[in-house]
Amino acid sequence: MLQVKSIEKYYGNKNNVTKALDRISFDVEEGEFIAIMGASGSGKTTLLNCISTIDTVSAGHILLNGQDIAGLSPAELARFRREKLGFVFQDFNLLDTLTLEENIGLALTINHTSPHTVRDKVQDVAMRLRIDDILNKFPWQVSGGQKQRAACARAMVAGQSLILADEPTGALDSKASKNLLEIMSGMNRDYHATILMVTHDAYSAGYAARVLFLKDGRLFNELIRGNRTRSVFYHEILDVLGLLGGDISDVI
Amino acid sequence: MKSWMYWGCWEVISVTLSKLSLRNARRQAGDYLVYFVTVILSAALIHAFNGLVFSEELSTLSSLMKSLPAFIIMASILVICVMGWLIHYVTAFMLSRRSRELGTYILIGLENSQVARLFFLENLIVGCVALVLGLFLGGLIFQVLRAIILSLFHAPYTFSLALSPKAVLLTVVYFTVIYLIILRKNRKSIRTMNIHDLIYFEKKNEEEAVKKSRSRQTLFTTAILSGIAGTLLLLTGSMFFILLGTACVVFFLYGFFLSFSSGVPAWFEKRPGKKYASHTLLIFRGLSAKLTTMGLTMATVSLLFTVTLISEGTGMLFGTLFQNRVEGSTCFDIFIGTVASDIHNPNGSADDEGTGTPGDKAGALSGNAGTSAAGTPLRRIENPEACIESAAPEFRACLEYIREEIPLRASMQYNIYRGENLQVTDYIEQNTEYYSYYGYDPLMAYSDYAALRRMLGYSDVPLEPGHYIIHCMAYLGDLMEDYNQVVSVSGTCLSPESVHTEHFAQKLWDGNGRGFLLVVPDECLVSRPVSHTIYGAMTSVPLTQAQDDRLQEIHENQRGGSAGLAHFSSGDCTLMSKTSLAREYAATSACTIFPLYYLALILTMAAATILTVQQLSESIRYRQQFTLLRKLGMDRLEMAQTLRKQLALYYCLPALPPLLISIPLLCAMGNTFEPGTISGPGQLAGILGTALGFFFLIYLVYALMAYGNLYTQLKTFAE
Repeated sequence: MLQVKSIEKYYGNKNNVTKALDRISFDVEEGEFIAIMGASGSGKTTLLNCISTIDTVSAGHILLNGQDIAGLSPAELARFRREKLGFVFQDFNLLDTLTLEENIGLALTINHTSPHTVRDKVQDVAMRLRIDDILNKFPWQVSGGQKQRAACARAMVAGQSLILADEPTGALDSKASKNLLEIMSGMNRDYHATILMVTHDAYSAGYAARVLFLKDGRLFNELIRGNRTRSVFYHEILDVLGLLGGDISDVI
Repeated sequence: MKSWMYWGCWEVISVTLSKLSLRNARRQAGDYLVYFVTVILSAALIHAFNGLVFSEELSTLSSLMKSLPAFIIMASILVICVMGWLIHYVTAFMLSRRSRELGTYILIGLENSQVARLFFLENLIVGCVALVLGLFLGGLIFQVLRAIILSLFHAPYTFSLALSPKAVLLTVVYFTVIYLIILRKNRKSIRTMNIHDLIYFEKKNEEEAVKKSRSRQTLFTTAILSGIAGTLLLLTGSMFFILLGTACVVFFLYGFFLSFSSGVPAWFEKRPGKKYASHTLLIFRGLSAKLTTMGLTMATVSLLFTVTLISEGTGMLFGTLFQNRVEGSTCFDIFIGTVASDIHNPNGSADDEGTGTPGDKAGALSGNAGTSAAGTPLRRIENPEACIESAAPEFRACLEYIREEIPLRASMQYNIYRGENLQVTDYIEQNTEYYSYYGYDPLMAYSDYAALRRMLGYSDVPLEPGHYIIHCMAYLGDLMEDYNQVVSVSGTCLSPESVHTEHFAQKLWDGNGRGFLLVVPDECLVSRPVSHTIYGAMTSVPLTQAQDDRLQEIHENQRGGSAGLAHFSSGDCTLMSKTSLAREYAATSACTIFPLYYLALILTMAAATILTVQQLSESIRYRQQFTLLRKLGMDRLEMAQTLRKQLALYYCLPALPPLLISIPLLCAMGNTFEPGTISGPGQLAGILGTALGFFFLIYLVYALMAYGNLYTQLKTFAE
């Protein structure tokens, strides 16, 4: 579904160039749940921004369903984002002036969905995420976990094929985090949502089927859960994280 | 700590605080540029108008100009209140936005009093800079106002940059009072706040005044009904009902804005199809969120706009009224007229011809010229000042002065005669608004009419035997064109021939008829009694102010009448000159239109500033919104379109109720003016259009500033 081919990203000018991403390549299959891990400054968010077309790559290609997103015009990029991508952010990014129902419905109105079907679609996805009873409330009237579930609902209500989550549990307590991760797993399992989640939390990454580790803008390691239990997978992730402090030659 | 060390430390802190204040003041001026510019412009306008208050040069232009300071000070009191509100609102707003920063200063060890002083100082710096700039700009605006007033009086203007020290002092006093009161209040509130209050103060917002949804709906309905009733009451014209209407309108504005935010979401809630159509969701939610938290502010802004539109409209209407007076009162450079012999008595009929005492006076007047009221030849005297002994005795003193001092192009003394009935007057009264004055239809001899037309430079008009001409004011033209009745004068039946509407001194009671006049063949008037006698003169050059003053003085002394108006009605004789009318127009314009526009300008700027500052302070929210919408896939054009709609609604909403209130009110006011002042709906629409255009032009500048700023952010954060 998603192919990332040798992408590079540089910041700065001639005299002071910072390499944020360095020849990163990987594929994402449809219905996969992938976590990207790394320390602060490792390039996780830059990678996510490049995939989400918010940022452009300096070199390399990103293909979604075979289509190179680098070749799209601004209008096509906007269309691509609203039709194909769903976002879940650390700070929820819900508009305070809209109710939860309206925040979720916003993704549909931007997609020019028939206004008469919006409420039904929102209701449907809200029931799946168990927030149908608080749809009339404003973001400031509900808990962080509920806000994040509303953000998840917005990310999938328009039938987006790829959900990009940037530290979705970063602002949640452990109970709400667990709840949200269960829901994301459910979205992946039951509705075959493809999820790409950036996190620095090993527990959260344990819910993914595959974990990519970034260090200094390069792909450092990759872990596949396979048939292992979440607990075993979690400990493997911690092991790799321990190695992240070392040199790349310690691994390869 | 040793005392020198303490003072050393204190000095360091003090210097740092001063630097910080200065830096914050600079930043504040940048962040709140719109507010800063408005304060400068307001200071400039206040100072310019204070300059008018203390200008001796202007107060000596006319006796009426002596009341100009009173009008300006009355307007200034309102202006100061509004400016006080604006400065209070914006400083309180800035305090709420910067409370976290101020709280941080306390957190790192500054005392509350030091922080209060910091806030006080930086606002004082902003105020002082605005005042100094305002004083300079005000000096220039004063010169513009001075030039306008002098040109209205046709007085010579010389440019000078001299600032009246009294005007400067008054402006400084106004601003000092405003700033000291407001800043002391803010200082007190900071001194009593704890760190927690300051850090979380920005979370506070205007409280929802009406919390229960049901109460809000009731309030909304009551407010709308009150608005309709209030506007209707204002149209009645009775003082009691006007006061009641004003109260209803104020209730409407506050009730409407405090309850509106609940009505809109409820309406959309029942219509999801409409809510989710296009970008309505973002637009209406953005607006209702604003209204929920700033209902009181919006209502006050709307109230100010109502006052603004009424002030501007009234100013425009008065301007038209005064101009119309000048143009309509006399077509001559100098006009003297005796009072009509018989005025209209609605309860009775006209006096019997020739037997009424006033008629005797007119008859005696003609007798002095060697004629009698009835059965004697018509007497028109060309250049009567050349043979004063044959002129009417009321005119003689003035004519003597005219002969000696004023070069004339042409002059004439002639009579207006009494018709036999009120046939034409009744027709006009039945068909349009008309205040009749005479107890008969006024008549003029054709030979006098033809001579007058020549004197005034109008084209010649023929009159066939057995016909009559109607000369009327422009607003009666169409009506008189339809009049085809035969009139009877001295036993001769006359048919209408033509209608003419040039300016012909028909506005007042002693001119060439009031509103209209029938011009009949000379022979029909041989036996008709004289209504009144008129002297009209056209000068070779316009009368100087000194000549005009002297003429008025002679006239006043002769009859012992009262001065003060351009048309001197002393006893049984009226004197008017174009120069004095123009001076009256200039003085009344300066005394009414200037203060009204001054008020309107400041109110518009203050209210628009508050709306704009509110919008611009939301830039962080807008930034977040643009970033999110971009991620959700909304393209830039759509975002810009949504932003435009959001701002258009935001700026239109507080202007809409004032429009609905002021337009009918101004129309009604225009219609209460004497008939003929406003020629028709077209002119009224033009007057209202100009007044509204002026308001919307200023308003648009502010709205565009907000749009420009937010659009720049949109471009930055939605790229």
